[in-house]
Amino acid sequence: MNTNPDEATLALWLDDELAGADHAAVEAWALTRPEQLAARGEIRGWRATMAAAIPPSEEPPYPDFFNSRVLQAIREQTPVAVPQVKSFSWKSWCMPVAACVGMALTFWVGTKTKATPEYDVAGAPKAIPVEPVVYTPENGVNAEWFASQEASATVIVLKGVAAIPDATDFSETVYLPAEREIDSTASTEVEPTLEKGQQ
Amino acid sequence: MIRNMIHQEADAWDLSQEVFIKAWHALPKFEAKAKFSTWLYRIAHNTVYDWARKRKIESSGEFNDEIFERERIDSASFTTPSGGESPDATMANAELRVKIQIALGKLSPDHREVVLLKDVQGLSYKEIAEAMSSTLGTVMSRLFYARQKLQALLKDEYESR
Repeated sequence: MNTNPDEATLALWLDDELAGADHAAVEAWALTRPEQLAARGEIRGWRATMAAAIPPSEEPPYPDFFNSRVLQAIREQTPVAVPQVKSFSWKSWCMPVAACVGMALTFWVGTKTKATPEYDVAGAPKAIPVEPVVYTPENGVNAEWFASQEASATVIVLKGVAAIPDATDFSETVYLPAEREIDSTASTEVEPTLEKGQQ
Repeated sequence: MIRNMIHQEADAWDLSQEVFIKAWHALPKFEAKAKFSTWLYRIAHNTVYDWARKRKIESSGEFNDEIFERERIDSASFTTPSGGESPDATMANAELRVKIQIALGKLSPDHREVVLLKDVQGLSYKEIAEAMSSTLGTVMSRLFYARQKLQALLKDEYESR
């Protein structure tokens, strides 16, 4: 290259951005100009220093959280697909009118129709009252029942049942849960107080 | 790039998220005239400058240099670059990184961005011009002056290497 390259070409060459014939031409021109070769070497060194000191990319502190926030924001900002609005047609106004006319016609027909005849229920079969049956658990025990509508009470009398001895301890027939089963979370130190009405 | 443009780490990550969200919404408009990465850098550039503009308005019209300033680095910010380096090299690079970040903080946002895009991200002049909506000549000029100023700020460090 006999003539000097323009500033833009020289800047591209200094930053190693020239290629092909342009690059070869400036290289040939720079061979006799050590200051230009030194300038290019300086820029190369500078770029290497910068690249070593500052990483070109950096991971976010919490990548998953970062990505999830981006995705969430995209989801929230993406408009929901709106169904297409049908174009106006005769059906859009004709159908409601037809429905109203149909309802009015049905009502009018209903008012003109004969009332449903009442059926005679006098001859219908009546329910037969059934005597209640009382079953006893033991043979030889007879059970009778008496009902009083006035007292609204029913009494069942058992005959033939052996007398219960006085020594019978009824507490044995009652299931008392163990202390642990009562309430494992309740305090055992304080006894619960009951109101008189509840006892 | 955003992490190096804005010194508040939380704001930088918020803006990074915003960039991805904007890119997602703008994806149907991407015409593949430029590289996808250049297109993404352009969105990042616009997002950062919009954010800075809003901050400027919020601060009663006065330009707040602290937005881009790196002299006050967050205590929680990462100063150790990732990679499998030796502990000595890691420490030396960490120190250098802090010094470079402080020096970058003294540049104007335009100069800082052009240095970051060229020397850290490795974009070409043409790609930087597309990302910054600028001309090739402007990018070349900004990079030349930005490098000069940075080298002057890091003179001791730079000469020892």
